[in-house]
Order: sequence, then C-alpha cells, then structure tokens
Amino acid sequence: MRFTIRKCTCIQDASVTQVYMLPMIPPSAPPPIGTHLRTADIAVAGLVLGIVVLAMWNILANMSAAGISPGFDFLWQEAGFDVSEALIPYQPSDSYARVILAGLLNTVFLASICLVVSTLVGVAFGLISVGPSPVGRAVAMAYVELFRNLPKLLVLLVLYVVAVNGLPHVRQAISLGPIYLSNRSVAFPVIIFGEGAWIPFAAALAVVAIAACRKYLRRRSAEAHDNSRTERVIIAAALVLLPVLTMLIFGVRIDVSVPELKGFDFSGGGRLSTQFLVIVMTLGLYHGAQIAEVVRGGLKAIPVGQTEAAAALGLKRRQTVRFVILPQVLRLILPPMNNQYVNLIKNTSIAIAVGYSDLMSVSGTIINQTFKPLEMMLITMGLYLGLCACLTTLTNRYHARLTKREGR
Amino acid sequence: MAARAGNRITSTVREAFASPLAAFLSVISAVAALALFWSAVNWLVVGAVWPWQAPDVCRTSSGICWPFLVEKTRFILFGTYPFALQYRPAIVSLMLIVLSVVTCRRLAAGGPAPDARGLALVWFAVIVVAFVLMGGGVFGLAEVDPVRWNGLPILLMLSIVAVVLAAPLGILLALARVQAGYPLLARLSAAYIETARGVPMLTVLFVGIFVLPLTLPEGTKVSPVTATLVALIFFHAAYFAEDVRGGLLGLPVGQGEAARALGLSYWQATRLVILPQALRRSLPSLVNSTIGAYKDTSLVVVVGIHDLTATARMSFGDPVWRNNALEAYALVGLWFFLSCGFLSAIGRKLHKSARS
Repeated sequence: MRFTIRKCTCIQDASVTQVYMLPMIPPSAPPPIGTHLRTADIAVAGLVLGIVVLAMWNILANMSAAGISPGFDFLWQEAGFDVSEALIPYQPSDSYARVILAGLLNTVFLASICLVVSTLVGVAFGLISVGPSPVGRAVAMAYVELFRNLPKLLVLLVLYVVAVNGLPHVRQAISLGPIYLSNRSVAFPVIIFGEGAWIPFAAALAVVAIAACRKYLRRRSAEAHDNSRTERVIIAAALVLLPVLTMLIFGVRIDVSVPELKGFDFSGGGRLSTQFLVIVMTLGLYHGAQIAEVVRGGLKAIPVGQTEAAAALGLKRRQTVRFVILPQVLRLILPPMNNQYVNLIKNTSIAIAVGYSDLMSVSGTIINQTFKPLEMMLITMGLYLGLCACLTTLTNRYHARLTKREGR
Repeated sequence: MAARAGNRITSTVREAFASPLAAFLSVISAVAALALFWSAVNWLVVGAVWPWQAPDVCRTSSGICWPFLVEKTRFILFGTYPFALQYRPAIVSLMLIVLSVVTCRRLAAGGPAPDARGLALVWFAVIVVAFVLMGGGVFGLAEVDPVRWNGLPILLMLSIVAVVLAAPLGILLALARVQAGYPLLARLSAAYIETARGVPMLTVLFVGIFVLPLTLPEGTKVSPVTATLVALIFFHAAYFAEDVRGGLLGLPVGQGEAARALGLSYWQATRLVILPQALRRSLPSLVNSTIGAYKDTSLVVVVGIHDLTATARMSFGDPVWRNNALEAYALVGLWFFLSCGFLSAIGRKLHKSARS
C-alpha cells in the first residue's frame, strides 16, 4: 500500500525553511536565439567578446615577454614533486597529468567521505532538534549556531592544532587493537587479495546486477511493488555466499596486512593522514550544522495533520514515517541538500591550508613550478565544475523520480 | 514570579523524561554539554594564567595564557603594520565597523534603504579614505607597502569593500539574466553566474592573483590586495545575482507592465518600481550570502594575504609562544562569532519584517 496525501505539501513554517529554500530558484530556460536580435544585445555581447579578446591578447604578449609559450604540452612533462598520499601509484617521475589525476581522485575520495559524515551528523542533529527532549533541542541549537558563525578555515586550523599537539608521537601511538592513532596518521589493517580476486568480485557484481535488473523491470510493469521480504533475503544470502563459494573453489588467497612500527613510522596496513581526518571532521561538523537546519526545516514544514491523518487511517508509527512523512520530507529537502553537497565539494579545496594533496593544492604546486596559471586554472575549474554538475544531475534525476511517483 | 519560573522548570524536566527516547536523548545531551562546559571552565578559569602572572607560568599550566594575549593581541589585530603608525589601521577598522553597523541597522529598520544616495556617497568616501590611510604616500602620510596591511583592517577591507561593490554588480547580472528580449545578454550572464557558483572560491582567488595581472597591458603592476579584491568582487557578485533573481522572479509580472504602461522608461521602471520590491524580497538571502562571504574572506591566507586568521597563526610561530595556538584562535573565533551573530540578528529581523 502506498499512502500519499496530496493536499498539503506547501511549506508551512516559512520562518524556518525560507532562508534555505530561497537559493534554489528553478533554472529558467534561456530565451530562444534567432528570431530577431536587437542591436543593443549584439553590442553588449560584442563588448564582452572584445574584452575577452583584449585580455587574451595581453596574456599572450605578457607570456612571450616572460619567455613562456602557452599550451597544454607541459602536462606530459615530469612533475618532479611528491604528493602526501595518493590512491593510485604515483612517483615524482610521473607526468603532470598523472599528478592532476591523483589530486582529483583525492578530492573525490575526500568529498565522498565528507558527504557521508556530514549527512550523518546533520540528520542526527536535525532529528534531535525537533525531538522530544528539550535538553537535546538546546544542545542541537547551540551546535548549529556555533558552526554557522565560525569560518571553516578557523575550525580546520583549530582542529589541526589540537590533533597535532594533542595526539601522541608515532612511537607512543595509541593502539586500539590493530589500529594505531598518532599525530601523523591513523594506521589500520587492510585485507589484501591474492591472485584471481576478480572472480568473487565479479560474482558479487553479478548478483547486484541481476537484482537491479529485476527491480527495473518490475518498476516498468504495471504493478509497482517493492521487493518482497523473501526475495530480499535471497539476494542478501547470494551476495554473501556466492563470493565466498567462488573464493573457496578457485582458491583465492586472502591476507591481512597489519601495520607495524618500523623505525620512525608504520609500515604495512592502510593509513589515513591526520590532515585527511581533520578535514573530514571540519567539513563534517561545518556542513553537518547546515544540513541539520535543512532537515529541521523539512520536518517542520510537514503539517501535524499529516501524522494525525495517518494515525486516523490506522497506520503504525513506523508506517507513518515510511509512507507519509519521509517521502514528503525527502522531496522538500533534496534541492537544498544538493546545494549543501555542491558547497561541500567546493569546500574540500580548503585542504590546501593543511597540506593534503587534493586537486586544489596539486594545481597550486604545478602553477608555482611551471608558471602556467591560465591553463592550470582552466583545468582545475573545469574539473570542479564537472564534479558539481555530475552531482546536481544525479540529484535532479532522483528528485524528478520522487515527484513523478507522487504525481501518480 | 518565582512560582511561575519553578513551574516552567518542572514542566521542562517532565518533558525531558516523558518517554524513554526523550530521557535517553536528554541524558546523552546533558552529559555531552556538561563535559564541554567543564573543559571550558577548566581552560578559562581553573588552569588559567592571569595577566599579572609571569609568562613562564604558562608552560606548566593547562589553561588559557592571558600574558600571551596581553603581549600579542595588538600583533593579531594589526600584524606587521609599522608599530608607530598603527593608529591608521585602527581608524580604518573603526570607520568600516561603524559604517557597516549603521548601514545594517538602517536596512533592518525597514523601508528600501532610506536615503540610499547619501549612504552610497558616504560609502564611496570611506572606501577611498580607507585605502589612502592604509597606503599613505600622500598628505604627508608615510607610505606603507600593501604587504604589511595585516590583520583586522585587511579582513574588513576585503570583506566589506568586496560585498559593497559586488552588490551593484550582482544586481546588474540578475537583471541581465532575466531579460527575455535579449537572449545573448541573458545567456552570457547565466553562463557567468553558473560558472562562478560551480567552482571553489580558492580557484577564483588563484585566477585573481596569477591570471588577472597577465591580462593587463605589459608593465602594469597590480598589488595582491587589489587582485584579491577584484577576484572577491566578481565571485560574490554571482551569488548576490542569484539572490536578487529570486526576488525578481517572485515579483508579479504586472508590476513591470503597469510601470511601463504609465510611460516610465525601462530604467525608470526598474529603479522606481521593480528593484525596490525585488530587493526587499531578497534581503534575507542577501544577508545570508553576505555572512558566507564575510566568513570565507579568511581563505585569502592561501594566496598570501595576512588577514586576522593568518596573523593569529603567525602570533604563535614564535618558539616562546609555541603552545598558545588556542588562545590566538579563540580571539579570532570570538570576533567572528560576535560579528556574524550581529549579521544573523539583522537577517532574522529582516526576515520577520519581510513576512509581516
């Protein structure tokens, strides 16, 4: 059964939501070109074009005066500098293109972890701030107020100082079982797969693909039911058993690499630098506060009548949340949430202040080395724009799906 | 009175333990709040080294080190500006703060910026005076290199001047973007706004510092402060443009049509009818963007401008004061908390008057 009460999806408590709802104006379609362009229009466009051409002319003149030729050839030269941590194998002898890729991957990794953390923090505090406990509400309000009024750079620097001064040196690292926490990094054991590890992965992937296909076909057919419980159990079991079985059959080796203290640092295992953790904490708390406000606004915007009507229809508390509250809140908060996520992606660039090798700090180093500011900034800005555009496209699609479902 | 207060306390306590979930949340939050409060008290009172004590005591204590703040507050505020001339940045800071507070209070008092022309003139004069006072070189004032404009005055100049100059640019961009009759103009404006909003502020600052000087004719010199200011103006303008566009789109179409039917020209209609209403509608979100712009100004440290956050970081670089980072950052944090709190209060007031 699906309950959608269509009448009251209007925003009721404007004082809470409006501040966060205002920035999401629908991108109005640009007017068609062609029928009749006015002279003034062409004149202004020509003026802008002229300024751009003049600027380019000056750039070329300045560069040739400094003995630098413009172009993207430098991308294939040897970078010659090291990055603090990279997700792909990277050496200083690799090309600039590869170091940009390493920086981009670091940014994507950092942004996705921050996204999850800030969402968890934000939803938790958002729920507490409309929850039943007055003490919890007061604490949540204080948290939001504090982080709305502090610059993120200051938060980052404070947390960094606290982490570097507060945590012990590598040799006296705090150990939580096989996890070691020091002021340089957190080292933890990782699983290393031997040869043929792709087989169990492929098996798991196949299960996911089959489940997704079934769901897609189901959605296209007339009756729109979610997967039944038995089906879900079967899928979950297959997801666990198939990879394990294939692993046993093909004899894939699994090793665990545990970090060990050797000399001045840990070797083996995986590690995340203090810088990384501090940035995740900063952006998690900073955007968590703003997401908490978005969530609170969304929850407050649902009229009490909705809950009461659901109760009158005999729905249990859990069903009310699942079928009445959540769909409406989700549709309401998705656009401002997207705003937050886009801001978060952009804000990962403050990593440069503590020396984490993300896209921004890598491109800063490259500019200093090669003096190709125009080319590098075009690349960097393009990549950030692309990342933000990808995310916005995804959320827009999801939002369209949610609204379509409601309209049926 | 006392009985009523007592009643309220009892009802709050009852609410806090009304259900198992409420009780659980109350206990957890209370414990967290008390723990934070206790460590704050420990730092500020119990372990504090008071201003009249010797600075050496700080090394053995765990609390706030007042001697550090006594010694370094002036440095954090004005940085490396020549010591004897620091009355100049002090005057500039004071001027900008007073004028901003006056402007904000006038806006919050209601009406579409009463006496806007007079205010704009004062702003223009103050901005010019600020640059002259900081830089010197005229009227017998000793010249000071922009590299030494540090601390609070540079933070205020960059943030306030950028916001003040970005606002008109943002309004023009928003107006351009909603021109249905001028497709090229609308597209250009939209493309600019979306690009600026899709990239981090740091990339725009880098463009300002590294690319902007290249676009000028050979031999022209731009100081990093000017380059940063220009970058900030163009960056914030895109955000303001979206806020203003929100107000413009919320306006009934009839307003503009009626104004034109009365025989007003486009600019007259815009200035007298459209903008006053649209701006009043978009003021709350404009204030929000302003707070964001003000806070983000601290990022200029990355391009080598020493604002308040940067001077705080420099103040404990001295080996003697190595352990006093928190004191310096606390001072900066307090300043931001108070100034942003003031702006937020103005925003709330505007919001209330916009609704009624």
